[in-house]
Amino acid sequence: MATRSMFLRILWKLLGASRGRLAVALVALTSGAAVSSALLNVNLDAERKLTQEFRTLGANVVVAPPSTGSDAALTGAGVMDSIAGLQSPRIVAAAPYLYVAANSGTQPVILAGTWFDQVAKMNSWWKVDGNWITSQDSHLQCIVGRDAARQLNLLPGSSIELRSGEHTVSLMVAGIVTTGGAEDSQIFTDLDIAQNLAGLSGRVTLVQLSVSGTPPEIEDVTKRLAGALPGLDVRPVRQIAAAEGIILGRIRGLIFWTIMLILALSMLGVLASMAALAMDRSRDVGLMKAMGGSVQRIMRLFLVEAGALGALGGTIGFLVGVVLARWMGGRVFGVAISPRPVVFPVTIILTVAVALVGALPLRLLGRVRPAEILRGE
Amino acid sequence: MRKIRLLSRRGFLRGRATGSNQGHQTMFFRIVSDSFARKPRRKALTAAALALGMAVATATLEVALDVGDRLAHEFRSLGANLLVTPASDTLPLEIGGIDYRPVDSGAYLPSGELGKLKTIFWRNNIVGFAPFLDVPVAIAPGGPTEQLIGTWYSHAVAVPDGSKFVTGVSATDPWWHVDGRWFSDGAEEALAGSSLAQRLNLHVGSSVKVNAGAHAHALTITGIVSTGGREDNAILAPLEIAQDLAGHPGQYRRLLVSALTKPADAFSERDPRTMTPADYDRWYCSPYISSISLQMQQQLPGVEVRAIRQVAEGEGRILTRVGGLMWLVTIAALFAAALAVGATSATTVLERRAEIGLMKALGASYRAVSAFFIAEQLLLALAGGVLGYALGVVLARALGIEIFGVAPALRWILFPIVLLLAGMVALAGSLVPLGRASRVDPAPVLRGE
Amino acid sequence: MAPLVQVEHLEKRFGEVRALDRVSFDVDSGEWIAIMGPSGSGKTTLINILGGLEHPTAGRVAVDGMEIANLGERELTRYRSDKIGFVFQQFHLVPYLSAVENVMLAQYFHSITDEEEAAESLRRVGLGDRLDHVPAQLSGGEQQRVAIARALINHPKLILADEPTGNLDEANEVVILNLLRDLHDSGHTILVVTHSQVIGNMADRRVELEHGRLARISTPSVAKE
Repeated sequence: MATRSMFLRILWKLLGASRGRLAVALVALTSGAAVSSALLNVNLDAERKLTQEFRTLGANVVVAPPSTGSDAALTGAGVMDSIAGLQSPRIVAAAPYLYVAANSGTQPVILAGTWFDQVAKMNSWWKVDGNWITSQDSHLQCIVGRDAARQLNLLPGSSIELRSGEHTVSLMVAGIVTTGGAEDSQIFTDLDIAQNLAGLSGRVTLVQLSVSGTPPEIEDVTKRLAGALPGLDVRPVRQIAAAEGIILGRIRGLIFWTIMLILALSMLGVLASMAALAMDRSRDVGLMKAMGGSVQRIMRLFLVEAGALGALGGTIGFLVGVVLARWMGGRVFGVAISPRPVVFPVTIILTVAVALVGALPLRLLGRVRPAEILRGE
Repeated sequence: MRKIRLLSRRGFLRGRATGSNQGHQTMFFRIVSDSFARKPRRKALTAAALALGMAVATATLEVALDVGDRLAHEFRSLGANLLVTPASDTLPLEIGGIDYRPVDSGAYLPSGELGKLKTIFWRNNIVGFAPFLDVPVAIAPGGPTEQLIGTWYSHAVAVPDGSKFVTGVSATDPWWHVDGRWFSDGAEEALAGSSLAQRLNLHVGSSVKVNAGAHAHALTITGIVSTGGREDNAILAPLEIAQDLAGHPGQYRRLLVSALTKPADAFSERDPRTMTPADYDRWYCSPYISSISLQMQQQLPGVEVRAIRQVAEGEGRILTRVGGLMWLVTIAALFAAALAVGATSATTVLERRAEIGLMKALGASYRAVSAFFIAEQLLLALAGGVLGYALGVVLARALGIEIFGVAPALRWILFPIVLLLAGMVALAGSLVPLGRASRVDPAPVLRGE
Repeated sequence: MAPLVQVEHLEKRFGEVRALDRVSFDVDSGEWIAIMGPSGSGKTTLINILGGLEHPTAGRVAVDGMEIANLGERELTRYRSDKIGFVFQQFHLVPYLSAVENVMLAQYFHSITDEEEAAESLRRVGLGDRLDHVPAQLSGGEQQRVAIARALINHPKLILADEPTGNLDEANEVVILNLLRDLHDSGHTILVVTHSQVIGNMADRRVELEHGRLARISTPSVAKE
């Protein structure tokens, strides 16, 4: 018992005597831990936030009938109900589309019926000159693509009459949309109106979905959708998925290597302090060996010291890192990042590892030859 | 010995050169230089620490400055971000991938002019382009109409300056997946869309006879393509074959372009006609999608160029976010580098207390002592900075290749910046312990405690 | 009775240099030996080898029946803590431990610590009122007294002192030498390295080295009081 308390007594006084150097080492450890833990938190959250950004790029899953002919095939009735029935929180939006070949006077044009509230969620880049259509509207309205508007001489407020087969419908132009894509040459209206015009009640050509989550999570939802919709093709939109995967991978790589570099630097700072510390202590270690102290006991002392320093630096660093991460998240995403609990043990482990490896100069003291040291320089 | 020369150049004790003081000076220099000549390893350690810290700083900065360009390249995997159509075209009528417009209606553009795209100011940002011409064809005589899409996969375009630019769908739609291989330029080959192939029972190696009106071609299927779009229900063939079938040789109807652009901001959204000449120059010489569009329009008469906003805007938004993130990461790394280097600097100066005490005991003032130490630290910072920059360049290369698969473009402006940084950090790191040490009594230090 | 220390043909070479060249002598229990000679004669090397701080290149050393010339590190450590008490010229106290803690350190490396015993040993050398002082608060003479208390605490067979008064002024030197004399009188075996004739004359025998070789073993002519 007396020996245990002696050990602690020596340790305590040792720490006190080397305050200055240990403080420098602590600063190196804490700063490394702070930045690393902040980056880890940011990385975990950034991926989530960035996938949300990628969702604004449009649909990433499409449901369509397997093509059986060159005529537009249609899904069976109730497909939207089946999708809603899945009740997956990951399905951010699901917009059905029915394409109808119609005529305005002698000019043929494609009419697309859809649900505008869903489209608004998915297609952030649609720029509407005029007004959007909400489901509350009682008038028969449409949104016209800009090329179609030019061809048909339409402006917001104009009226257009569309004919398909024996059906006709008169719509008021609520707004003009510019996308730079195929939509520019189409006219959009509520799904019901298009279905009535074509006489295809309850049918749709395809459904575009925006599914959130990491690639494996999206794949899981795709599988469940395929299960719930037998006879239909459920396909990922590869254009976006591929780019998303690559970009996220690059960012992960960048942050990973930055963390590695920072830890290496932290170790550098620790090494420098420990080297100086070792020089300070070489005489005392030589003395203790001369008095018959075993190397193991002395090394244990130093190991505990380094480990304690690492744990302390890791804890303080983690707390600083949380503040740092919140600030970083605010700057980049405008939303504070919530720290992940897993980062704490990881930070502690990394910092203690850095401290122990950086304490190498102290471990080398074990080889000190008492005679040389005590001879006095 | 170096220290003596340095000291005498600085002339600390100049101006008091009486006989006895001469001896005093020499003694001073000798003692001081002796004490400094001890532990050269310390100096080497400081310089090495500085070098490593600066190497990390250099590498981080090089990569960070390059990240914007790298990610812009990665975003090209989203495909084309610009669409070129004839200014006076009729409305496309597409259902289920079939354009029901009569072939002879509407306007066409000459494909021979496309080389001019590589002469615009931002020609190096034009990563690639692909023209399209759609023709309704019949597979079997009198059979149902299928869509044939003519385009380029890897086609050598003649550029007015004499060079050749190889481009095609490989640049504008890189996510298209082909089982088999693409058709060769100018060959009687084609790709079958996955849905079409399933319907008509086509495989790699099958032969199809397509005819439209008076023209017919026998094409070998070299691959099955799946895109997730309308191409899955069509046949893809070389543009020349489509032009022949449609009776429109040397023409196309639609062009997709993939360009490296700078994300749009408030400045780029302004109407160029309302800009001052200086602003207009700045806008023209920035690779905004709006300025690139204008430059393309200037080269290709009769076209309308517009951004495929789904891609362009999404890219811009995400790039801005990620760019911000990368800068924060860089600053974090630099901060850590500065701290580590500062810590090392502080450590090594801290133990010069004995030497500082000695100098003070011999009558050197705080200013004189600091000046010497600062000069020494700056010299070490210079050495460390140069070495660090060289190491940093190597490290940046390795990191760039590891993360992006390509080495970053080096910016030489970083060299003086890194040196400056090294000097500042070494200075800051040594000032604190210098301040503390100068206030310590020399006596206990000299007694050897 | 067999001599406490037996040194036979002891050699220590550093490359080409022979620090010790076939030195042989014995020390009986209770003797006070002065090891003398000009600087570079190998005195410190000899005492270091006897203290288990260095290995000889050749030759034989036996202390208290133990052959130490070729002991492994672990046994040598044990030997140092068990059989030897070392006193250095520069005192070599641990600067951040108090006087009593410095003595307890020696106990710690030997077996178990006993603060009361350590305090008692300090009182015996006249430092009863300095127990909690750190070395910086003690004069040179007081520090060396702590070092002596430390050297004695584990009841060593052999006390080795390398120029114990080299860093002390005259007054303190007298104090330390009186201490050593008391130790000798109470039966401790002491080996002192010194270049001082005065100290040399206080010893029972003088082992004189020159260039690593044993020049002579003499008995001081001055009668001791």
